[in-house]
Amino acid sequence: MAESVKVLPQDIQEIIEVHEWDMRTREGVQRFRELKAKSLPSVALDGYLVYESLIPMQEELIDEILRRYKEKNQNE
Amino acid sequence: MYIFFSITTTYPDFLLLNFAYFLFDTDMNSSTKMKNSAQPNQYIYQTQGVCPPEIHFKINSGTIEDIRFVGGGCPGNAQLVARLLDGKPLAEALKYLAGIDCRNGTSCPDQLTAAVTAAKNGSLRPAESFRVHADASDRCRVGLISAIEGNHAILEKLIQHMKACGTKACYCLGNLTGDSAQNKDLIQKMRKHKIFAIQGANDWCYAQGQEKKGMPPLEQKDRDWLLRLPQVLSFQMKQKKGVVFFGDYLQRLPDYSDFEPFALEMNMVCGLTNFMQDKTVFPALEAMIPQFQVDIIIFSQLKKWGHWHVAGKDFISLGPASDANGVSWGKLEVADEKIEFKVMHAEYDGG
Repeated sequence: MAESVKVLPQDIQEIIEVHEWDMRTREGVQRFRELKAKSLPSVALDGYLVYESLIPMQEELIDEILRRYKEKNQNE
Repeated sequence: MYIFFSITTTYPDFLLLNFAYFLFDTDMNSSTKMKNSAQPNQYIYQTQGVCPPEIHFKINSGTIEDIRFVGGGCPGNAQLVARLLDGKPLAEALKYLAGIDCRNGTSCPDQLTAAVTAAKNGSLRPAESFRVHADASDRCRVGLISAIEGNHAILEKLIQHMKACGTKACYCLGNLTGDSAQNKDLIQKMRKHKIFAIQGANDWCYAQGQEKKGMPPLEQKDRDWLLRLPQVLSFQMKQKKGVVFFGDYLQRLPDYSDFEPFALEMNMVCGLTNFMQDKTVFPALEAMIPQFQVDIIIFSQLKKWGHWHVAGKDFISLGPASDANGVSWGKLEVADEKIEFKVMHAEYDGG
């Protein structure tokens, strides 16, 4: 399931930064708490927790990334 | 699944400057991979034929640092040796140390030579980031004490009460020492009764010579005793494995690695759940539990009694050894493959 995040198409990869956090580490736990996440796996987009306890299908994730990307750049 | 993702969408102008894809190496599972190679390695050498049973030192880019002869010997001379050699290249330090005789055909400098040589040739491996001790006996029942904080009379009372309740084995989680002027007496009692003790935050500060203001003085040999205490104790109770530790000071130790034995359990208790006080993150805790090495996790930093059963694991927080109502300890036993934990009380008038 995590592959849907790791293997995003090249055009999507070019408009995002992805950080994968390891919950076994203090750094991962700290980021988890900063995002106010509660369960695993989780995906945050632009600092907001969007998917909890699941990794979305790739199409759904791409739609959400593009929606946020457009919204963000519309306001510029 | 022990990962989560954060994704940041970028602005077009940002894109021109930054094309970034960060991926954490999730296959990383050894402490050696996580340790920064620029950091010095800490070594602990078990001596032979000299007064101090251990020598602690670091090797940093081919130089020796932070030498400490622990647990005996001539503290003044040992400190002088440590100061003179601090920061010296290994080859130069060895020239000063080799061939000195004091007793039993060896000496502290000679033992340091053996230690440095062993570290150089790889037969002495770098120390773990925290000291783990395993209780070799398979226990049916143990008594648990915490936050004695130097009160040796309370320790005596607790031991009496435990024995009267049929509990012989006792694990004493830090803090052993505290504001009390009786820290020295407490240490003597701990040694006399041969109690399994682990180091708490106060004890670690004393061991480093960094105790808080107002803490009473303590002799070097008692500080050394505190330094040599294990910081984590693992144990076996029939089919169940357990671990005890004090709290989050261990996570702040300079060489702490997230990938050493029991670090996962500590990271989940201290960091994720705030000592089991934040129940909202228990779903995440449940997701991590399959990777735990033990079934029972006991800690004492909170000074508050508590017992949680999550996804087949028992988490226990120890309260203080004494309060206005008397003295208290925890009784842990395994019956029918189930963990039973009970807080035991005894009256104590302070006399």
